[in-house]
Amino acid sequence: MYSLEIENVTKRYGHEVVVDDLSFTVRPGRVTGFLGPNGAGKSTTMKILLDLASADRGRATIGGTRYRNMHDPARTVGVVLEPNAFHPGRSGRNHLRILADGIGIAPARIAESLDMVGLAHAADRHVGAYSLGMRQRLGIAAALLGDPPVLVLDEPGNGLDPQGIRWLRDLLRARAAAGGTVFVSSHLLAEVEHLADDVVVISHGRLVATGALSTLQKAGVSVYTPSPAPLTEILESAGATVGSGSQGLLVVRGLPIAEIGDRACAAGIALHELTPESGSLEDLFMGWTENDKPHDQPKDVPEFEREVVPL
Amino acid sequence: MTWLRLIRGELRKLTTTKLPWGFLAVLVIIAGIDAAVVMFGTDMDGSKGFIATAADQQSLMAFAFNAMIGTGLFGAIAVAREYGHNTVVPTFLTSPRRPRAVLAQLTAVLLGGGVLGLVGQALIIVGVALALPSTEYGFMVSAGNVIQLLAASTFAGAIGAVLGAGLGAVIRNLGGAVTAVVLGLFMIPPLVVQLVNDAASWIPPTLGAVISGVNTDVNLWAALAVLLAWGLVPAAVGLLAVQRRDVV
Repeated sequence: MYSLEIENVTKRYGHEVVVDDLSFTVRPGRVTGFLGPNGAGKSTTMKILLDLASADRGRATIGGTRYRNMHDPARTVGVVLEPNAFHPGRSGRNHLRILADGIGIAPARIAESLDMVGLAHAADRHVGAYSLGMRQRLGIAAALLGDPPVLVLDEPGNGLDPQGIRWLRDLLRARAAAGGTVFVSSHLLAEVEHLADDVVVISHGRLVATGALSTLQKAGVSVYTPSPAPLTEILESAGATVGSGSQGLLVVRGLPIAEIGDRACAAGIALHELTPESGSLEDLFMGWTENDKPHDQPKDVPEFEREVVPL
Repeated sequence: MTWLRLIRGELRKLTTTKLPWGFLAVLVIIAGIDAAVVMFGTDMDGSKGFIATAADQQSLMAFAFNAMIGTGLFGAIAVAREYGHNTVVPTFLTSPRRPRAVLAQLTAVLLGGGVLGLVGQALIIVGVALALPSTEYGFMVSAGNVIQLLAASTFAGAIGAVLGAGLGAVIRNLGGAVTAVVLGLFMIPPLVVQLVNDAASWIPPTLGAVISGVNTDVNLWAALAVLLAWGLVPAAVGLLAVQRRDVV
């Protein structure tokens, strides 16, 4: 069983801070979604975890060991990072043969992996003639080649058709159910909502939220009041994030429901509704990441909410 | 054991694209041109003096320097395309200890370059040998000198490939790496000789001729050692550059 640990990782390119004192844990036996806007630092974080990039500060380990120090890394960690990391003039089968040679995997496993991803029929065609979805399947076949207990996948659903996405979801869920560690970044929030047990959300390289998805989805409060402006001001000054919901509702994150009621009462503001919210991941994501400025303190989701379920 | 596995993977990389076949086709063309020169070419006075002696024929067939240029391009393309196609990512994931991965890559490219040099020289010898009966001269080069030509081109081909691979690892851009090989082997050495006359004995064309047995400007062993340095220095720089660099 391998946990992935990101501990106080900072990475700069020139003067730009790409990953900023980032810490989180990915647990085995669960699928963890890694979310963030474009340029948030997701791929860089994954590359640091895999020793493809070096951190300026902090450390990233897999099962307590740096990737480069692992005894047999390619059999332990399956990776999909670049959707086009193939020579276009080489066949899919030969791409896997090269990897199998390097890892020391029996050739029979190549055919199994190709079958598993539904690419056996095109295995001897040049990768240059593959569609994006086929290249993505080949990348997944490469990741599964060593039957690794850990999967680190960067946008693996890109280009897959609906059947492919369903297949990928079932595959990753099965891997996690068997005790594997599955860490997957995606822009497809609806898909992550179906897939992930936990989420890690970053923006501008900083942690915005992490925890069990089911708990985070219930972490907001819907408030209806005839005086939204003063209530917003009061709650924001108390550290909450206040967004606009549908039909004039306010969506408040970062304060317990009782405290919201108490503060409204103390200010003499009437509340017509005060209910725990069960928001979609998309709503949560937008709330966590909108108006986020580089290197602001992570005020979108206060500490207690970010650690609802420590990973 | 791990290193041998990596070398096997790197050799498969070289043989599963059209790259070596393209170079082989060029070698066949060069051999054909050499044969045509023997059959139809003449000196200024209209004679076939350029193939009149064993030394002339050996000089005509000496391929070591050309092998070095060709395999320099081969090595540069083989390594730089890894970065262009991002296939360096699975390479470094398979072997996160990068020096091991790069040494495997250099070894595979060295072997490939040696084979290309050997095959190129053999094709030229065969082409010239087949063309000579159409002239008044027979094939006069001794078996020992034929072996020296083959060995010289194999060595120069291997070194050229390592040189190109080193430049490819440093520059990473395919066009840039190819340009660097051409500049480093073909354009800059003559310019350096213009500035420092004594350097003429230590540039690749001279060294290639020395190890092919058609020039005695410097001692054979010294020529071999300096040629080795021509390959090892860029390879060492490439090794260091790869070690320190992020894969982005």
